[in-house]
Amino acid sequence: MSGPLDGYRVVEISEGVAGPYTTMSLADAGADVIKIEPPHGDRARGWAPSVGDDSPLFLALNRNKRGIVLDWSSDEDLQTARRLLSQADVAVVDKYGLPPDLRWEELESPGLIYCAISGFGPKGPWADRPASEIGTQMASEATSSLGNLGDPPVRHGSDIGSVFAANNAIQAICAALYARDDSDPDHPTGGQRVEVSLFGSLIAMRSTLWVALSNPDEWWGFHLDSYIKPPDHGYQCRDLPIYFSLARIRGEAFESLLDELDMDWAREHPDFEKLRTDGAGGAGRYAAALTPLWERGFANFDAEQVIEVVERHGGWAFSMHDYERLSKDPQVAAVGAIIEVEQQDGSAMRQVAPPWDFEQTPVSMTMRPAPRLGQHQDEVLSESATRS
Amino acid sequence: MPGSLEGVRVFDLTLWMVGPWASTQLGALGADVIHIEQPSVDPRTLGAGVPPTINGTSIGYMTWNQNKRGLFLDLKSPTDRQTAYELLQTCDVFLINMRPGAAERMGVGYEQVKAVNPNIIYTAITGWGEVGPMRDKPGADVQAQYFTGFWSVSGAEGGRPEVYRHMAQIDATTGNVAVQAVLMGLLARKRTGQGQRIHVGMLRAGMALQSGRIAEYLSTETLHQPLGSAAFATAPDQAFQCQWGDWIGVSVTSEEEWQRFAAIMRESEAEVEAIDDLSTDPRWSTNRDRVARRSELAALLQAGFQQRPRHYWMLRLSAAGIPCGYPISFETLQHHAQAIENAYLREVETSGWGKVWTGGAPWEFSHTPARWFGACLPGEHTGEILDELAARRTMADEPTPVIGD
Repeated sequence: MSGPLDGYRVVEISEGVAGPYTTMSLADAGADVIKIEPPHGDRARGWAPSVGDDSPLFLALNRNKRGIVLDWSSDEDLQTARRLLSQADVAVVDKYGLPPDLRWEELESPGLIYCAISGFGPKGPWADRPASEIGTQMASEATSSLGNLGDPPVRHGSDIGSVFAANNAIQAICAALYARDDSDPDHPTGGQRVEVSLFGSLIAMRSTLWVALSNPDEWWGFHLDSYIKPPDHGYQCRDLPIYFSLARIRGEAFESLLDELDMDWAREHPDFEKLRTDGAGGAGRYAAALTPLWERGFANFDAEQVIEVVERHGGWAFSMHDYERLSKDPQVAAVGAIIEVEQQDGSAMRQVAPPWDFEQTPVSMTMRPAPRLGQHQDEVLSESATRS
Repeated sequence: MPGSLEGVRVFDLTLWMVGPWASTQLGALGADVIHIEQPSVDPRTLGAGVPPTINGTSIGYMTWNQNKRGLFLDLKSPTDRQTAYELLQTCDVFLINMRPGAAERMGVGYEQVKAVNPNIIYTAITGWGEVGPMRDKPGADVQAQYFTGFWSVSGAEGGRPEVYRHMAQIDATTGNVAVQAVLMGLLARKRTGQGQRIHVGMLRAGMALQSGRIAEYLSTETLHQPLGSAAFATAPDQAFQCQWGDWIGVSVTSEEEWQRFAAIMRESEAEVEAIDDLSTDPRWSTNRDRVARRSELAALLQAGFQQRPRHYWMLRLSAAGIPCGYPISFETLQHHAQAIENAYLREVETSGWGKVWTGGAPWEFSHTPARWFGACLPGEHTGEILDELAARRTMADEPTPVIGD
């Protein structure tokens, strides 16, 4: 048994995060991915921190691929790229240095699904502007969900623009493959160009907020007042912070909760009525005012104790994991979310597993390491020559 | 022109956000998505009752149920369950996001649906997974954001990590991942001729979203500390304040870009001496050198950026192919050519809530365009869909035409 995309051939001409994440997913799902790098390599090889000559991000996002090097100043290498593309089902390109000869319009590959990932989308005045996380997070208003109003901007520290775009790119590629392979043989759909962008995907991911801002019955909703809220750091207990919400805790359960947390003093507090009716939760209307009250109570207990008490009373409380606690969590182990990938030097590197479970066409969790620069040059080129 | 999934039909037994967001996208790709609601549904519970409302309905419902037709079915009633099975025979995809075991109790577990339609792509979405100590815990975006460490890498430099205040990012990511799984299942069915059961969960989808950052932690066992607007992996890659106080985000992520960036800074006569020789100064030789002395470099560049207005830097950096951008608010985005011309942001008509603004399709297809239309009312197309089933029944009763007759 093999993955759902077994048999599809993919050529990647991209660097950084968005393109490589897209083809990592296609490779995880069973596609044969050939990564074309410029002579100096994918820029992400030189990102921080370093693992040998490469970065962990590069090694993670380029697993299961075969790598070759082509130099766009050489006509021969351009010809090689054209041949590889003509033999492929899918091309994934970004705009880092893609030569004009390899644009969709210049190719004669009628069955090819050509996926272009850009910063801001194929149309409009910014169509040619290059992509970056901070540039697109700012332009899509994503940075207004972090930090303090008037303070320096804060980015989301994960590469959300790039991975959101990659997730959409994977969808577009699979949908276009389906349209091609499912079409009426007498009127084939054939290949096509599909486009996604970091800006477009970041905007799509904020859809709930756009609808909320259209014409709400009342302004205060957890998405709307997020603009003006101070940063939400969770609820600090004696040892660790937690997420906390009263959820359904009302009446007697609420009184009992206060008792168990030794929060008798809260009953005399001027904000007690809000505490009792609106409770808390980083999203709640009075969270900024009420958080210090709960934290005064939680300070006498470890996170684990608070979570137990809150859950027993019908509320919601969760550990706020950092990556260390996440990587040691029994649930993460139970679902196999972290896998070991054997590297070129024989060492085992821990990486995040692909997110889908297919019963009939399971994804292999035995993965090949990211290629060394040009590692599969001879193998790929001789294979391609035999094919044509 | 028809969409990519023209002819694909989806039985959409989803609620809250994760499942409905997935089927919203399948609908945009051209599938006929039939969204099921209980006839007795309390309108105040639609969309998980997420505030605010428009005309009394949660904006969650109308965001997450676009591009669909609405059908009322009471799966507890034997008659409606028969209708469900009849409808399932015409479907390619079954989509559900409920806790493990709920589908079986409603008569639509995988074995039950497979008995009716063996070729179906049956996709179950959970919060924490189908195994493990947390399998029965409820899961929503906010918990997934806290649990997966999504909050732990953002915040002001030197401060505590903070939560991304617009929720729904892990929900939507899981929905996106479910769409990938459905499409891969449909592609595999072309090859194997068989349907199958698929599962995705918020925990693994939320972790996959952070593949790069988590790999960095697992390799170094060093936790990321919040860096404000700055990137962890590259430098300079952060926001700078320009003359008049405007912010600009600038990213230099390769050595070749660094050379071009250094040339612009030199030519800009920023009157800061050290900026003249960025490209030859050994402190900044490679990206890793620049990352190691990020604050020192940022302070130097900040002194340069504040000498000229943002528009100057946007023009110069864009012309040189250096990625840059600046903060844009919703009021501006609504009229911004880049958002509107790509239909990333659009206004759609809805059946019960007037015109609403929404994100549009994030993809552009040259041959099989995506579509986008406003949310349906619960059960809005019940009559129409039942009529289609009745017509199909009538056709099935007619004698099969003999070829060549």
